[in-house]
Amino acid sequence: MDKDLKILIVDDFSTMRRIIKNLLRDLGFNNTSEADDGQTALPLLKTGKFDFLVTDWNMPGMDGLSLLKAVRADPDLCKMPVLMVTAEAKREQIVIAAGAGVNGYVVKPFTAITLKEKIEKIFERLQK
Amino acid sequence: MINEDKESKQDKFTVTKVSYLTETYINRLQLLNDAIESKDEKKISDIVGELTTLRESALYQELGMLTREIHDSIHTFGNDERIAKLATEDIPDAKERLNFIVTKTDEAAHRTMTAAEETMDIMGNFSGKAHGIQERWSQFRNRKLSKDEFILLNEEITQFFESLESDSSIVNSKMTEIMLAQDYQDITGQMIKQVVTMVKEVEEKLVRLVAISGLVVVPAKEKTEKTEKGKASDGEKAEGPQLPTADKEIVASSQGDVDDLLASLGF
Repeated sequence: MDKDLKILIVDDFSTMRRIIKNLLRDLGFNNTSEADDGQTALPLLKTGKFDFLVTDWNMPGMDGLSLLKAVRADPDLCKMPVLMVTAEAKREQIVIAAGAGVNGYVVKPFTAITLKEKIEKIFERLQK
Repeated sequence: MINEDKESKQDKFTVTKVSYLTETYINRLQLLNDAIESKDEKKISDIVGELTTLRESALYQELGMLTREIHDSIHTFGNDERIAKLATEDIPDAKERLNFIVTKTDEAAHRTMTAAEETMDIMGNFSGKAHGIQERWSQFRNRKLSKDEFILLNEEITQFFESLESDSSIVNSKMTEIMLAQDYQDITGQMIKQVVTMVKEVEEKLVRLVAISGLVVVPAKEKTEKTEKGKASDGEKAEGPQLPTADKEIVASSQGDVDDLLASLGF
């Protein structure tokens, strides 16, 4: 796994962004940026500087599902791996996220190990 | 005896009224029977007319009593000062409390994380230095270290011990900071309890209001089932955290459940 990977963390709660950022740093990913909702995230993603997207679902403005759909609809971004880290735990919602093309789904509250496993699994599958 | 009379006055009144009505009905019916036997059409029509009037006036009386009851209930409800206070004071107060809780928990989380991050930096520095010293120490033990290098190592070890002392006291104070940051739980816990009490009171008042308006109140549990399964829920709408007690059929309660579900979808 390339540790220089540029990761964008999208969550409306600064504490959660900070937690994810720290956990990613622990996993060796130091190259992270933050955005507080889909609207601010999308222009950042379009600069083409990011390799990986970690996003929450429930956010004001543009939510994570809309962001995921926008990413999948953009020809330049459509291949970007997306991990959803969210408190949305309804089965129906997980199915919808899967249908929209999410690469991994972590429910809050989560542990560092879960986050690590899901990220590793995403890259494992991408390398195949 | 007098008291008893007063208490049962209402009952006696109703009984008298009813028996009076019944007597009138029986009387009219007998007359009607007679009229039918004597085939007096005019009389039959008159008596039927009287019976209808009698029935209508009973209905109106009934309706009048119901109206009075509803009026009284609404009046008492409207005069309940507590409701006005709930709307103008308690609910805005609860909103303030909940906002305060959001701020307080946010502060505590950042305070904790700042202290943890600073501790991590110190510990990272520690292990880096220790590693360097250990390497050269083993070189020294294997007699692979020059005199100049040893002097340098000696100085480094002295510095390391000094920093160990000052840094561990910093780590200690960071840990205390983390512990102190948890004080939010006490205050927010109390506030949440206050808000819960208020919500309970509002719930009771609402149930009373619904009772007055004559709607059937469906018990909470049945209701959630109905709304959950009845309404076409908008799956794309984010709904926020689910309570741990939520319906297992609808909510995936753990990461394991989520993984199982995704696996079943070919992930």
